[in-house]
Amino acid sequence: MKAQALANHLILYFPLILLACFLVYPVCAVIAGGIAAGFRTSPLQVLTSPITLQALLFSAYQAALSTLLAVGLGLPGAYLLARLRFRGSSIVRAAMVVPFVLPPIVVVVGFLQMFGSFGFLDSLAMAVLGSQTSVLNLATGTTGIVLAHAFYNVPLVVLMVSSSLERLNPDVEESAEILGASPIRKMQRIVLPHILPALLASATLTYLFCFTSFPIVLSLGGGAYSTLEVRIWYAFRGFDYSEASTLALVQILITVALAFSYFRLGRSRSYDASPTSSIKQFSIGELRGRYVVLALAYVALLLVLVAGPIVAVVRAAIYDPVARVYTLEGFGSLISTGLGGGMVPLINSVFYAGISTVLAVILGVPLAYANRNQNSTMSSISSIATFLPLGVSAITLAYGLMLSVVVPLGLSVNPWPAIVLAQTMIGLPFSARSIEVALRNIDPALLDQADLLGASRLQRLFFVEIPLLAPGILVGAVFAFAMAIGEMSATLFIALPQNVTLAVAIYQNLSVRKFVQAGAASLVLVVVCLVAFLAIERMTGRRLGGVL
Amino acid sequence: MSEVHYAGRRDPRKVIVALVLIMTVSVAAYAVWVWPKPKLLVYTYDSFLAWGDNPDTIDNEVFGPFMRQYGVDVQIVRLQTDANGVVSRLVAEAQRPVADVVIGIDNILILQAPARDVTEPYVPSNLNLVNDSFVNALDPEHHVVPFDFGLVTMVYSRSEINETAHPELANLTFADLTNPELASALVTENPLLSSPGLAFLLTQIAVYEKLLNQDWKSWWTQVKGHIDVQPGWTEAWTKWDTDPTKRMLVSYGTDPAYSYYTTNTTPDTALAPIYHDGSHYAWMQVEGIGLVKNGPNPTLARAFIDYCLTPSVQSYVALNQWMFPAGNHISLNAAFGYALHLNEVAILNELLTRSEIAANLSAWLDDWDLIMST
Repeated sequence: MKAQALANHLILYFPLILLACFLVYPVCAVIAGGIAAGFRTSPLQVLTSPITLQALLFSAYQAALSTLLAVGLGLPGAYLLARLRFRGSSIVRAAMVVPFVLPPIVVVVGFLQMFGSFGFLDSLAMAVLGSQTSVLNLATGTTGIVLAHAFYNVPLVVLMVSSSLERLNPDVEESAEILGASPIRKMQRIVLPHILPALLASATLTYLFCFTSFPIVLSLGGGAYSTLEVRIWYAFRGFDYSEASTLALVQILITVALAFSYFRLGRSRSYDASPTSSIKQFSIGELRGRYVVLALAYVALLLVLVAGPIVAVVRAAIYDPVARVYTLEGFGSLISTGLGGGMVPLINSVFYAGISTVLAVILGVPLAYANRNQNSTMSSISSIATFLPLGVSAITLAYGLMLSVVVPLGLSVNPWPAIVLAQTMIGLPFSARSIEVALRNIDPALLDQADLLGASRLQRLFFVEIPLLAPGILVGAVFAFAMAIGEMSATLFIALPQNVTLAVAIYQNLSVRKFVQAGAASLVLVVVCLVAFLAIERMTGRRLGGVL
Repeated sequence: MSEVHYAGRRDPRKVIVALVLIMTVSVAAYAVWVWPKPKLLVYTYDSFLAWGDNPDTIDNEVFGPFMRQYGVDVQIVRLQTDANGVVSRLVAEAQRPVADVVIGIDNILILQAPARDVTEPYVPSNLNLVNDSFVNALDPEHHVVPFDFGLVTMVYSRSEINETAHPELANLTFADLTNPELASALVTENPLLSSPGLAFLLTQIAVYEKLLNQDWKSWWTQVKGHIDVQPGWTEAWTKWDTDPTKRMLVSYGTDPAYSYYTTNTTPDTALAPIYHDGSHYAWMQVEGIGLVKNGPNPTLARAFIDYCLTPSVQSYVALNQWMFPAGNHISLNAAFGYALHLNEVAILNELLTRSEIAANLSAWLDDWDLIMST
């Protein structure tokens, strides 16, 4: 029995050990090294500088606004997606995640064409007002930054919350209706408490994602705005490793504080796990008039926000802005072989992201269990560790992996394992959190039944728990894949030419004015992700699992 | 539920074994595919020689003769970053360097200690192929020697803004640019993140401090909120190209030549070098090639640096790099008739000395940062 318990612990804490080796250790090494190298700028100077304070406040402020907006826009979507039964719902689900994988520069261009001066919305406003000059530029300053962040994160809220809603017990709803609860009261007392963990998890992920935002802030902020991550980047570029280290440490401490409060908030509520089941769904025909209008209005809003940049990508793939003609030339370069040719980035992207996703899910399951552990010290540590990869600045992690993994192991000329590691780390918060949320919705009685019927631990995991966790695994895997395939900062730093991914290739093509090639590569990236998301959905099975 | 559901169950152990097998095979196959072969490694930035007609075969074309002569495989490793990132990587690898040669460190970057720490001074035997003025502008200590050079200046699109409506474009001054209409039409790069952006900041500092004897900070205070600062050249160019309100861009003096060469029509891109008191000015960026300190093949690396200064490499610079070759007497394509040439402008580098930049650079950047973010 002792050996069994030990094995259990080992499995449970294996992800933590990996995080310690490949996240905590490299980052600590960088920070310690930066501080040991002597201070060009002392920590006190950095911490008391008005610029640091301003960056800190701006990071917190824009992240809060972005989170509010993303949650506000995402909740109705989550409700619709869970409630409505319609053809192509899995395609809608997959399409929503696409923005996550596009390199920031592509998002920015799409965003400018939608929200910028003389963009889609501006042209509309100009036509209405009969104005010749631009009247509406939403793609600049704080407005632009917050909108772009919402655009990135609405899908996260929608998918995490809707996967939780799918496990809402229809019996409870019915009882409430029979007892005369109004829709608002039903929402307040039944739906909201049920989705709260998912809501909290997605909001915290969104907040951290926006807090550490870097390319969007630089590009849309026009040089006038900076987050802590931007400051870290500036210091790193100026070879001021002590300043970079101090700032990276501050950012990690903030992440830990946030993760800890998330953990406490989650702990303080106890849920009566109701029997596991799946939500009552409607088809579109069953909706009443007023709701149809509302739903359509919402879909239109979401289309503007989310689909705009995707349409821009499709157009960019076939339109050459220099010669001003439509062409398929961009796709020609994708077929060419050889290093740097079209297929290499595609193979690299799929390989790295595929391996990273499998790893993120395999590590995410025990991490999710560890987070739900009875032992509160251990579960708080693992819960905090889950968020850590999001709070560690990408450049710090990349530099740390170079210093303490790639160079000592002699991987300098062949550094792809470090890219996979970095991409796994960045996907882990998403997979672990969404699996954890799904775990909360499992009725322990079901597991007891499995035990009583004589299932082995492995059988119980495979035939009972994993099918029940399927919605969480699905969402987690999708986002882990998206984060991995879209990862730029760490990949850019670590990759050699033979490791170029699609996201990197897009940027490279743009930088030598090969616009159609960049557009074609973006389109391929989008298609690869759609296929991957649908495949993940198929693999996680019919969402209800086999046991019900 | 239905029986069918239970029929298809597999033994979980089989699933695990299958999964492990698939993962192992694919990882092994990939590892074999990308396994590195011993080579002379040359680290450089992402767009090195990437602008020509055949970017895929250019390395073989340019460096093939060297490879055959020395019987060695030269691999040009274009890191997915700029020269600053290349230096960061060399710093990270300083304990066990794998690269032999580095190309792309410019006359500002070499002033910073990390760039000097990762390179070893080397005077090529054929350095007389390069004009002394470039050698001295880049690095008199020869940590790096000149490979190519370019002039950083402002460009504009004739179809969007022209000298009829804005006669000041012919002799553009920084004072003209404080006009909100012009300031908000200008896109530049962030000097903290980009070398043309830094060159533009130094241009402005040189003009204000040395020619006008004014505090350089006053100009940035005036244009702040109007001028668009993008993180890098690619982002800036994309913004200039896609946003119709952005009409001027800080870029290189060869832009119109590139435009002519690719479209074969009179370029729409025009040049607006900064004007002061009867002459035009520009900042000169000199990019160098240097020996990586403690690199694995120093002898071969030295021979490679020598080779890069010869016409067999230098003659490829103009059309593949869209910079000017550092080597003497290299003939240029007719398209370069549209470029800004060294003899058409006064060079600001001569006003702002190397030691002055080395001493003040970080303070200037901090000041710029403070102006822009408060």
